[in-house]
Amino acid sequence: MNRLMALVKREFWENKGAFRTTPLVIGGIFLAAMVMFLITFNHFDNEFQSLKELLRFIAQTDVEMRSKILSAIHIEMSVIFSTVLAFVVFFYLLGSLYDDRKDRSILFWKSLPASDTLTIASKLLSAMIVAPVIFWIIYVLTHIVIMALFSVVVMILGENPWTLFLSLSNPFESWGLVLMSYFAQSIWALPLYGWLMLVSAFSPRIPLLFAILPPVVLGVLELWVDFLKTFTLNENLFGLFGHWFANSPLIMSGDDHGENDFGPALGIPITSDFDHEVTVSNMLDRIFSTDMLIGLAIAAVFLGAALWLRRRATES
Amino acid sequence: MSYVIDAQGLTKRYKRTIAVDNIDLQIPSGRIVGLIGPNGAGKTSALKAILGLATYEGNLSVLGKSPASDRAALMEEVCFIADVAVLPRWIRVWQLIELTESIHPKFSREKCLQYLSSTKVTLDHRVKQLSKGMVAQLHLAIVMSIDVKLLVLDEPTLGLDILFRKQFYTNLLNDYFDEERTILITTHQVEEIEHILSDLIFIQDGKIALNSTMDDVQQNYVELMVAPDQAAAARELQPMNERELFGRHIFLFENANRQQLKELGEVRTPSVADLFVAIMSGGES
Repeated sequence: MNRLMALVKREFWENKGAFRTTPLVIGGIFLAAMVMFLITFNHFDNEFQSLKELLRFIAQTDVEMRSKILSAIHIEMSVIFSTVLAFVVFFYLLGSLYDDRKDRSILFWKSLPASDTLTIASKLLSAMIVAPVIFWIIYVLTHIVIMALFSVVVMILGENPWTLFLSLSNPFESWGLVLMSYFAQSIWALPLYGWLMLVSAFSPRIPLLFAILPPVVLGVLELWVDFLKTFTLNENLFGLFGHWFANSPLIMSGDDHGENDFGPALGIPITSDFDHEVTVSNMLDRIFSTDMLIGLAIAAVFLGAALWLRRRATES
Repeated sequence: MSYVIDAQGLTKRYKRTIAVDNIDLQIPSGRIVGLIGPNGAGKTSALKAILGLATYEGNLSVLGKSPASDRAALMEEVCFIADVAVLPRWIRVWQLIELTESIHPKFSREKCLQYLSSTKVTLDHRVKQLSKGMVAQLHLAIVMSIDVKLLVLDEPTLGLDILFRKQFYTNLLNDYFDEERTILITTHQVEEIEHILSDLIFIQDGKIALNSTMDDVQQNYVELMVAPDQAAAARELQPMNERELFGRHIFLFENANRQQLKELGEVRTPSVADLFVAIMSGGES
C-alpha cells in the first residue's frame, strides 16, 4: 500500500503541470473573465446603473425558476473543467508507459522493488482518481471565490445576495453530482483508458497516431457496413464509439425537457439508451449496465496486454 | 554453499542471434566481478537476465530467487545502475530520495544525505540541471545507501571524465564493499577497475572465454618482454599472443615456466586489457 501511494505520488510530481497547474489556469481564467465583465460594465455604465437594474429585475423573477437556473449554472461551470480534464487524462495515459521507455528512465524504475502490476495500477489510479479529484477541488474553489466575489458586488449595489441567489441553490448538491460524474466517467471510460495504456506500452513512436488510427478505421468500417446493409446513413450514424461518447455519465451538455425546464445533461442527449438527466441513479444505470460489463471485459484485456508488454519493455 | 548468482545453461535468443549461449556461471558472495567483453558479446543480455529485465532460457537463480518471475522481490536485495543517464530527468533530488525511501525497505536516508553532502548536488536540484558526473554521483549515493547483497553496474561511468571515474570506484570500494556484498561490473575501461576486481570473466560471442579469480590470473598468465634477437626463442615456447612495442617484442604466456622466461627477458604480470586482447584474438580455442 505504501509503495502504491509512493508511486501515485511520483505520478503527481511528474505531472504537476497537467494535474494541478492546468485547472488552476482555468480557475484563473474564470476569475479574470468575471473581473473583466465588471470592469466593462463600469466602463460603459455610469455607476453600474444598468447592472443594478438587471439585479432588480432578477430579484423579481420566479424563485423556483431562478433556483433551477442557478443549479444549472453551478453544474455547467464544471463542463470546461471536465473537458480539459478529459484531454489531460487522455494525454497522460498515452505517455504513461511510453515516456520512460523513450528516455530510458524505465531502467531506473525497474531497479526499484515495485512490480509492474503496481506501476500500472498507480498510473491508472492517477488517471481515474487523482487527476479528477484535483480538478474537482479547483472547480469547487473557483466556484466559491466567484460566488463570494459576486455576493460582494451585489451587496455594494444594494441588493441582498442571500435572497437573490445564495439561498436558492444548494452548491453542495451540484458539487457532489459533478464529483460523482467524474468517478462514474472514470469507470465508463475504462476501455479507452486501457486502450491508451496498451498503445502507450507498445508504440515504438508517435503513440497518438497508434491510439487514434485503429478506432477511426473501425468507425469508418462500421459506418460503411451499416450503409451497405441499410442503404442509409441515419440508422447508426454515430456508431459504437459515438454511442459510447453520447452515453457518457460525464456532464457535458444541456438538455431541454420542455417549457421552463432545461438543465445540464449526462453525455449528449441524442441517444435513448439511457436517461440523460443529471442524477446519481442515472449515472449508476450506466455503470451497472451490460454495456459496461462488456466494456470492463475489454478494458481488462487491454490492461492485461499492457502489463504483459510492460514486463518485456526492457527486452531489447 | 549457495551462490549469489547461479546460472546453468543460461541462454538468451533474439530473433536471429544468440546473445548468450548456454552459459554456466557461479558467483559466490563477497566478490567484485568484472564482466568484460567486446560490444555485442552478450554482457548486457546476461545482466538483463540476471536483473529480471529480460526473458531467458536455462536455470538462473539470483540470491535464491528467479529473476524472470520475481523481479520486484529480487530488487529488494539487488541494486543496479544501468548506465549513467537513466535517472528520470524531471525529478528533484528530494523527490528521488523520498520515493526510494518509501519503496525500498533497506534504504537509509541519513547515509544518502551524507554521501551527497560531499558533492555539489543539492536536494532542490532537478536531475536535468545536473551534469553527467553529478547524476552519476547522485545515483551512486542512492545505490550505496541501500543495504543489498548484490550490486550490478553496467557501464556505470560511461562518458564521465577521469576524475569522476576514479572517485566513483574509490567510493564504491571504501564506503560500500564488504565481504557480505557482491559487485558485478561491466565496463570498457578495464584499466580502471582491474585493481579492485577479485574475479574476472571474459565473454565472447555469448560464451565464457575466461572465468578466473584475479589471483589465478596473476599466477597463470605471464608477460615477457624481449629484445628482437630473442623473439624467435620466445616464439618457440608457444605464446598465446605477440605484439611489438617500441621495437621490443611482448609475448603472453599461459602456465609457462617463469624461470625459463626470465632467461629471455623481462617478466611481468599482464594487464587485464592485454590479457583481454590476447584471449579475444586467440579465437575459440
